[in-house]
Amino acid sequence: MTDVFQLLVAGLSIGSIYAMAAIGFVLLWQTSNTINFAQGEFVVLPAFVMVLFLTVFRFPFAAAFVATVIVSTLLLGLLVKKVLVERLLKMGVLPLVIATIGLSMLIRYSLQQFWTPLALPFPAIFSRQPIRVGGVIFSSEEVMNVLSAAIVIGTLQLLIRRTKLGWAMQAVAQNRDLASVLGINVSRLVGVTFMLNAALTAVAAVLIAPVYLVKYDIGIGIGLKAFYAAIIGGFNQIRGALLGGLLVGLVETYSAAYISNQFRDAFALVILIGVLLLKPEGLLGIKEEWA
Amino acid sequence: MSLLEIRQLSKNFFHLSALSLVSLSVEPGELLGLIGPNGSGKTTLFNCVTGVLRPSRGHVLFKGEDITKLTADGVYHRGISRTFQLIQLFPEMTVLENLLMAAQERKGTLFSRLLRRDETEEMDRALNLVEYLGLSGVKDNLAANLSYGQQKLLDFGMALMPDPQVILLDEPMAGVNPTMIKALVTHIQDLNAQGYTFVVIEHNMEVVMSLCRRIVVLSQGEKIAEGTPAEIHDNPAVMDAYFGT
Repeated sequence: MTDVFQLLVAGLSIGSIYAMAAIGFVLLWQTSNTINFAQGEFVVLPAFVMVLFLTVFRFPFAAAFVATVIVSTLLLGLLVKKVLVERLLKMGVLPLVIATIGLSMLIRYSLQQFWTPLALPFPAIFSRQPIRVGGVIFSSEEVMNVLSAAIVIGTLQLLIRRTKLGWAMQAVAQNRDLASVLGINVSRLVGVTFMLNAALTAVAAVLIAPVYLVKYDIGIGIGLKAFYAAIIGGFNQIRGALLGGLLVGLVETYSAAYISNQFRDAFALVILIGVLLLKPEGLLGIKEEWA
Repeated sequence: MSLLEIRQLSKNFFHLSALSLVSLSVEPGELLGLIGPNGSGKTTLFNCVTGVLRPSRGHVLFKGEDITKLTADGVYHRGISRTFQLIQLFPEMTVLENLLMAAQERKGTLFSRLLRRDETEEMDRALNLVEYLGLSGVKDNLAANLSYGQQKLLDFGMALMPDPQVILLDEPMAGVNPTMIKALVTHIQDLNAQGYTFVVIEHNMEVVMSLCRRIVVLSQGEKIAEGTPAEIHDNPAVMDAYFGT
């Protein structure tokens, strides 16, 4: 029975990382109608950048983390918005979606070719000392991952609910034309959202890197699962993406432990298909008319 | 100087000409009517003025300054607000939140946006407007759950919220019951008397004729007449545009 609780924390830990990437999906979709198929690589690249700062420039951990978030925000936020989004969004949703697929391959295979095809080790952020609660043993790393993600997501929610910037984001999500007639600079807001997304994926990168090691192709799995999570929870709801992320993490962890480790990735897909059949707008999603 | 001046404005959609060489001016404190058959370019004109569409040729001047190339948010910041033919609201926000949203971009720097919203002044204004428009009872309801008439009123209120200098109303009476039309007409006259400048697109001739002191008529993208309600009423070209062969 104790392993049920251990797996619960393990599942929430990986799930909260999926949730961060999934929330990024939702943010981008809401404000700019972008489906970013490079989201997985948006997690991988910051992990490499972090390794660069830690091992090559020998930054202390905190400084390397801050530097990583800044580089990621500029590169994957501002630059991507200026170079890709600004030009392609005018032509509709599809060209941009295809461009993000291209971007994901560009990042993935550039890392493989010009950096390394091998997995790089990443220092543990949190102590791996187990925590005992009653008879149950938790990994403190997993507990800290969940807490960190909770803090980041909580802060983001506060930003969206309480600040003018967040309100402008909600306004654009609900009615883009009206928002722009009411004085919101939609293009700039899209830029800010891309930067927020890049900051989110950078945090996700630093949390997941010690678990998965840093390898050029881990983004495929992470990106896909975040995408499932966003669809399962509802593509237009942040709390939906949160729920979806946690659900995918839990399903994956429990099914790997109790059913089959080889097929662990398949079970999230089963849920995805089930949701698409029974509630296509997602568990917490709201039906949208296609505009 | 005219408050708003439109000079030789043209808008083409591919080879279709939606507006051609339309010129008109709006004086401060005026209540100008804009009429014309369906498809005559009235809404396109509003869209070109408010930066929603970029005109193909011509200029829009606001207080003597060329605002032709501004985007919609830029036009808003100059003091021009508008409503849409089809009601545009933030469906998942309450009535009060919709109103606050309409004024929130009026001030503040990029940095101040990151701070908690300070909106006591806006809140007072929103509460006054809610009271004035008779929406007090539903001020905390989601906009999506309002009746059509209430949504129309809220739409109108949102155009007033930023305290604009010119308000462009695109068919404010369309689909609204007679009692509500009366209320809206009173509101517009009231606000006009307080110094607000209006340009109103309206199909209800009775309303336009009684509300506006000057009327501009568009037909097939061109201005075909301009004058007092009586002049427009007796203008054969106008009759022709509406009922002509």
